[in-house]
Amino acid sequence: MAGGARIYLFGYLSHDFFGRVIVTPDDQTVGRLAEQLRAWSWEPERPGPFTVTNEAGEVLDPSRTLAGAGLGNGDIFTVSTEG
Amino acid sequence: MVLRRDDWLDLSRKVDWTYRYVDERDVFPEAVSGSPWLAHKAWEDWNEVYRTTYREYVANQRAKDDAVLGVRSALNKGHIVEGLDPGWVQLVKFHNGALALAEYAGAVAELRMARFGRDSAWRMMATLGGLDEIRHTQIPLLLGHDLLSFDGNFDWTHRAYHTNNWVLIAARHLFDDMFLAADAVDLAIQLNFVFETGFSNLQFMAMAAMADRAHHHYFEKALASIQTDEARHAQIGHPVLRTLIENGAAERAQYLVDKMWWRCWRLILALTGTAMEYLTPRPARTHSFKEFMEEWVVDQFMKNLAEFGLDRPWFWDTFVEELDWAHHSFQLGLYAYRTTLWFDVALPDAEERRWLAGKYPGWEDAFGPLWDGLEERWQAEGEPGTLATALPALCNLCQLPTLFVRPGRNTACTAEVDGRRYLFCSEPCRWIFTREPGRFTGHRNVVDRIVVGEAPGKLTDLHRWMGLEAPIETGKDLRRGLDRWRLEPVPTA
Repeated sequence: MAGGARIYLFGYLSHDFFGRVIVTPDDQTVGRLAEQLRAWSWEPERPGPFTVTNEAGEVLDPSRTLAGAGLGNGDIFTVSTEG
Repeated sequence: MVLRRDDWLDLSRKVDWTYRYVDERDVFPEAVSGSPWLAHKAWEDWNEVYRTTYREYVANQRAKDDAVLGVRSALNKGHIVEGLDPGWVQLVKFHNGALALAEYAGAVAELRMARFGRDSAWRMMATLGGLDEIRHTQIPLLLGHDLLSFDGNFDWTHRAYHTNNWVLIAARHLFDDMFLAADAVDLAIQLNFVFETGFSNLQFMAMAAMADRAHHHYFEKALASIQTDEARHAQIGHPVLRTLIENGAAERAQYLVDKMWWRCWRLILALTGTAMEYLTPRPARTHSFKEFMEEWVVDQFMKNLAEFGLDRPWFWDTFVEELDWAHHSFQLGLYAYRTTLWFDVALPDAEERRWLAGKYPGWEDAFGPLWDGLEERWQAEGEPGTLATALPALCNLCQLPTLFVRPGRNTACTAEVDGRRYLFCSEPCRWIFTREPGRFTGHRNVVDRIVVGEAPGKLTDLHRWMGLEAPIETGKDLRRGLDRWRLEPVPTA
C-alpha cells in the first residue's frame, strides 16, 4: 500500500476523447497509474503494451514512482497504446 | 409645420455638453468607461444605422410582443407541447437554462454602457439595448413557465444560474468576463461586435429555422423576435471599434476580438453544436452545425474583420479543425456525464448516424466505435455501465472538460503561474489565461473546489451540490425509459 503525499494528476488515454482526474499517492508507480487509467477507459479495448509520457512527450519509466518520474500536482500524463 | 425626422433626431440624440464644474475624466472614469481613455472629441461622430427613437422603440417592441403572445394564445396553453419531438423539448430546456439569465447579465452590461458609454448616441442605443435584454430574459422565463406543468425541470430556466452546475459555472465564467467584469469599451467589442454580430445569428436565427421545422412555432417566434432586437443593438460595436482603431488602439481591439471569439466558440460548440446535432429531430435539420457556422457566423465575421482591417484570430486553423469534430466529442462527454445535467441526452440512432456521417466525413470512423461501445454496455451492464464515474479534467479558462478535438487528437496543455500549475483544454485557452493572469487565477473550477474540500469528491454526491435532486431531476438517456414523475411521455411528432 502506497503511503506518499497525495497529489492530483490529469490522465489521458491516447485514443480516448477526454481527460480524467486521478488523485493518488506520489509513491505510486507510473505503471500502476497507467493501469488505473486504462481500467476507466471508454475506448474500444486495446490490450497489449503501452507507454506513458509527460506533457513534454518524454517517456516515463513504468517502474519509477510518480515523484521519481517528476510528476506533481496538476501535471498531465498520457498513456499510449499500440494499435 | 411638422419637422421631418432627420431635422430633429440629432438634437435629441446628441445631447453631450461641455463640463464646467467637473473634469470629463471624473464623469467617465477610465476604469468603467474603458481604455484607451479618449476625450469626447474622439467620440463625437459616434453613430449607428438604426438611430431609433424611444417612441419608435416602444411602438416596435409592442408589436413584436403582440406577435409572440399571439402565437402563445393561439396554441392554447393546454396543448403547448402537442406534436413536439421529445428531443426538441430537451433542447428547449437546455437552451432556456443556459440563456435566460445570461440575457439578464446582458441587461446589466448594456446599462453600464448606458451610463459610461462615451457619446450620448451610444448611451441612448445602450439604454434601448438594456430594455431589449430584459425582454430577452422575460420571454424564455414565460416560455419555461408555460412548460413547467409538463416537465418540472423547466424550472431550470430560472434556477440554472443560481446553481453550481458545471455547465452553468462555465457559462457564468464567460459571461462574467464578457459582460459583468468589463468596461464600456470592452463591452462594445466583446458583447456587441463579437458575440452579437458574430454568434447570436446562429443561436437565434438558425435555431428559429429549426424550431419552425420542428413545429415549435411559439419558440420559433420568440427566437426570431429576440434576434431583431439583437441585430439593432449589436450595432453599438462597430463605431466603438472604429474609434479605437482610428486612435491607435488596433492591437488592443484585435486582442479583445481574438479572445472573445475563442471564448464564445468554446461555449457555443458545447451548447448549440450538441443541441443542433443531437437533440433536434432529424426531419427538422436542414443544415449541420458546421454548415450553419460557416454560413451564419464565419462568412459574416470575416466581412466584419475586413471592414476594420483586422486579422483573423491567430488560432484560426485550430478553430476550423474543431468545426468538424469538437462538438461531437463534447456530445460523448455530455452523454457519459448526463446525470449531472438538467436535461436528457441522446445516443444517436442509426438514421442520425448516417446523417452525421454524410455531413462529417470521418465521423463514423472516429465516433462510431465509441457509440457502439456504449450500445454494447447498455446490453451487457444496463445503464450503470454507460455512465462515467471518474472526475473529468476541467480547463481553468473555459471551465469545460478538456475534451479531445476528436478521439486520438488531444490539445490539453498546462501553464505554471505564481507557483501553481493550471490545466487548459487548448492553446488558445492557455494564451488568454496567461495574458491576463490577475483576471483568472483567483477562480476555482469544480475540480479545484473538490481538491480544496469546497465540493464533495464523489460524483454521486456532486449532484446535490450542483442543484440536482437525483434521480428525479438528473439527465437521462433520451430514448430509454420514462421518467417516473412524468405522467405521460411527451408526444412524438
